[in-house]
Amino acid sequence: MNSAEPSSKSNEPTLRGHVYDGIQEYDQKLPNWWLFTWYITMVWFVIGWLAYYQLGYGRTDHELIGEQMAKIEAVRAKELEAIDDKKLWEMSRTPEVVEAGKATFMATCVACHAADLSAHLAGVKLPGLPLNDTEWKHGGNPTQLMTIVRKGAPDITKGMASWEALGIKKITEVVAFVMSHHKEGEPVTLAADSPLKQGTAPATPSAAPVAPKS
Amino acid sequence: MSANNTAKSIIEFDDQSVRHFMWASIIWGIVGMLVGLLIASQLNFHQLNFNTSFLTFGRLRPLHTNAVIFAFVGNMMFAGVYYSTQRLCKARMASDLLSKIHFWGWQMIIVSAAVTLPLGLSRGQEYAELIWPINIAVMLIWVVFAVNFFWTLHKRNEPSLYVALWFYIATIITIAMLYIVNHLSIPTSWTHSYTVFSGVQNALVQWWYGHNAVAFFLTTPILGIMYYFLPKAVERPVYSYRLSIVHFWSLVFIYIWAGPHHLLNTALPMWLQYLGMFFSLMLWAPSWGGMLNGLLTLRGAWDKLRTDPVVKFFIAAVTFYGMSTFEGPLLSIRAVNALSHYSDWTIGHVHSGAMGWNGFMAAGLFYWLAPRLYGTKLYSAAWANFHFWIGTMGILIYVGAMWVSGIMQGLMLNATNPEGTSLMYPAFLDTLTAIRPLMAARIVGGLLYFSGMVLMLVNLVLTARRGKAVNESREVALLNRGDKDTMPLKDTFINDPIAYMFGGLLLIMGWVFLPPGADIASLVCAGIFAVIAIRKFQQGAQKWSNWYDRLLVNYMPFTVLTFVAVLLGGLIQIIPTVVVNRAQNIEDRIQKVYTPLELAGRDLYVNEGCYNCHSQMIRTMLPDVLRYGDYSRLGESIYDHPFQWGSKRTGPDLARVGSRYAEDWHYKHMMDPRSTSPGSNMPPYAHLYERKFDQKSLPAKIAAMTQLGVPYPAMSGDEIKQKAIEQGIQVVGKLKEKGIAASPDTEIVALIAYLMKLGQYDTPEVEERLTDGTQGLPFPLKPGDPDKFRTTVKPPSLPVPAGQ
Repeated sequence: MNSAEPSSKSNEPTLRGHVYDGIQEYDQKLPNWWLFTWYITMVWFVIGWLAYYQLGYGRTDHELIGEQMAKIEAVRAKELEAIDDKKLWEMSRTPEVVEAGKATFMATCVACHAADLSAHLAGVKLPGLPLNDTEWKHGGNPTQLMTIVRKGAPDITKGMASWEALGIKKITEVVAFVMSHHKEGEPVTLAADSPLKQGTAPATPSAAPVAPKS
Repeated sequence: MSANNTAKSIIEFDDQSVRHFMWASIIWGIVGMLVGLLIASQLNFHQLNFNTSFLTFGRLRPLHTNAVIFAFVGNMMFAGVYYSTQRLCKARMASDLLSKIHFWGWQMIIVSAAVTLPLGLSRGQEYAELIWPINIAVMLIWVVFAVNFFWTLHKRNEPSLYVALWFYIATIITIAMLYIVNHLSIPTSWTHSYTVFSGVQNALVQWWYGHNAVAFFLTTPILGIMYYFLPKAVERPVYSYRLSIVHFWSLVFIYIWAGPHHLLNTALPMWLQYLGMFFSLMLWAPSWGGMLNGLLTLRGAWDKLRTDPVVKFFIAAVTFYGMSTFEGPLLSIRAVNALSHYSDWTIGHVHSGAMGWNGFMAAGLFYWLAPRLYGTKLYSAAWANFHFWIGTMGILIYVGAMWVSGIMQGLMLNATNPEGTSLMYPAFLDTLTAIRPLMAARIVGGLLYFSGMVLMLVNLVLTARRGKAVNESREVALLNRGDKDTMPLKDTFINDPIAYMFGGLLLIMGWVFLPPGADIASLVCAGIFAVIAIRKFQQGAQKWSNWYDRLLVNYMPFTVLTFVAVLLGGLIQIIPTVVVNRAQNIEDRIQKVYTPLELAGRDLYVNEGCYNCHSQMIRTMLPDVLRYGDYSRLGESIYDHPFQWGSKRTGPDLARVGSRYAEDWHYKHMMDPRSTSPGSNMPPYAHLYERKFDQKSLPAKIAAMTQLGVPYPAMSGDEIKQKAIEQGIQVVGKLKEKGIAASPDTEIVALIAYLMKLGQYDTPEVEERLTDGTQGLPFPLKPGDPDKFRTTVKPPSLPVPAGQ
């Protein structure tokens, strides 16, 4: 920027001759610490820009987030390998797991499914489906339930949102909590509007006998 | 430089206008802060939205910000400028008529803003919410002010311009430039318009404006006021003239570049983010130059700090200025911003500026002015002291609460499990519940500060009643024509200081924008050039200094140079983004065009001020992506006039909310947010369920959109309305499945249609991408996108280890 040097080199601050409506001005030298602060920020600009644009240090935001997401996918896949219906049923009989799941449920799911899993609050129907009966829309196996919690309803505009953000651990706990209200092998019926009913026939793969009813 | 002419004249200053502006400022200030108190309380007690349309947070928050910025600080600035300019120019304001038009016009604008904002008429951009007819009025009144001011300069009887006037000049021309560009719109009716910019361009222009409204409306004029009234109050010479020069020019030049720091970690291209960040850091020292010149002027008179409430207010204000201009660069660092952005930390930051710097400068100014304007003593210095202490307490409580709140919520929102695979607090509401006590503390702080303002009003009214309005008269020596304003344009631009400055800037820009190879060459040249410039300066210091002294007695050349200084940053950042071909801007995704019903819903979203609490921008950060989904791409808001990226998340981000909930969820949520989200502080929107959305204006709106380049198919007016109703019927059908009865032409249906659309995009075929002329290096030296050059230099690879 512009700058002006005083004629005198002494340390005495010179008082400028001109008076503006009674206001006078000293012509002090710029404080060194102030100047150096400024220079440092300028040097930082040059170094920062050089490092990123000319030397190629650092990754772009997109590269970084891509790597992080890939890592998460890998961890998830690994965690999922260990999980099947049997494991989830076991967890649903483990009090500590159920208790942890309950805490998450009460914080996250209760608004739509109600504290007693009935999806009704004081006689009013909540947005969610009841989880305490044996009629399921997306299948009654623990793994099927878990898929819904993770990915949300197949057509999300018609049902539940994805809760993948909870993480596999919390999701399995919540599933365990819900399944603690059920018994392995109890009869499971598919709801009238279940997407599992059409096309892919009785696509429910495992254990429970499926008795469709309308 | 001396006027040895003997012609003298007695002039009477126009102090009446100063009194008007002073009272207007205090009264609007109290109103604006009262609204602030109300909306702060609404955040904790949703009942205070009173279940009406016009008292909701989303509509009142713009009223609060506009009132405090344009009504409180605006009128205060005018009072200070009118008082000091006349005395520094030894001339009465050029035209009494213009002064009157300025005053009354500005108050009319404020009143019309206070009516239209609660009615839900809004342009949907922060601090630029007012509708287009009011924009035109603001511009006209600003021109009246400018003409009055520059005419007074022209008629001045003091040849040399004091530093306060430099700041006023910068304020007037820069605000005009910012305001006009950011308000360019296509009207669709008397109360509605679409901004000509969309998506990223709109974001860039808006924050170029928004950030520099802070710079040139809340900072530079107040610095000018400081340079006049602080030395007056402490009766000491200003600390350093040289510092004034250096910090003035660097401040006005660098400030303009810092706008993109409001958009860090978003879809904004990286080179803009980096420029915004680094220039914000380089702005720290120039800002502190002003603080030093204020604080150190008190040297030798520190005792006044104990006795004089005016000095107390000024010195505390300057200290708060120093604090927030340190905080600003800190928040502009991308890593810090990742935590602080969208949180209460930003709110705390602006309030330490607004209440500490602006509010206390205003208080000091008025306590100094009122006795002089009424020819008496201040009614009660003790009350003024009390005002100072409760004001300071108020600010500290407020700002402290917002720091804790912002950092706490930021940490909670960004917290992941140790493996970084999931969020610690996946429920947004948990983080809101956590900061509720702090939001309550903020009300206490605000209340204290507000009480101080009321006390000041009472004190000054009693002061005025004790005295009587007086206009100061003075005998001044009239100046001859040849004693000022004689510099030819050639001397303005063709001289060493200017040549070296522009040369250096050009080379630095070459470094930023030139293709690989040429960029480094440009940087090396810039270094050599700087060395030459410093040597030249050391040899010809007296010549440079003489040139500047000459510039100071020539107001037009000074103004032209100031304009050039404030113009450059905006040009360099905005032009490339506006002219760059669209394909580069969209990053493989392109937004789906809104249907007529969705557009109607979007206009409701804008009018209700949803952007005050909800962002639509998922940042390129893991916690954002885990919480809200895939990060936002530029193409996903390419048709958004105005963009709604937002700047605060009192509620969660909505960029991909469309795929999260069903119609009935939105229906219940908007009716009573707590029915679906227990603990929410969102206002209920019952009025949307009765009102019909505006079908009549849809054809005009779509015509405007088409004009702006949004690819709507050709539709007649009737087709547009029919399409809207058809889609409304579909939404209603979905609601009916869930047992909800709604009418297809209501506002809530339009809003639901819009919300369901959020996050939808097409993937365009990759066509002639990568075909712009970046090949054939290094000639021709075609400037281009630094981010593109980076990938051509280094195909995505590992960073080069140090010492390779």
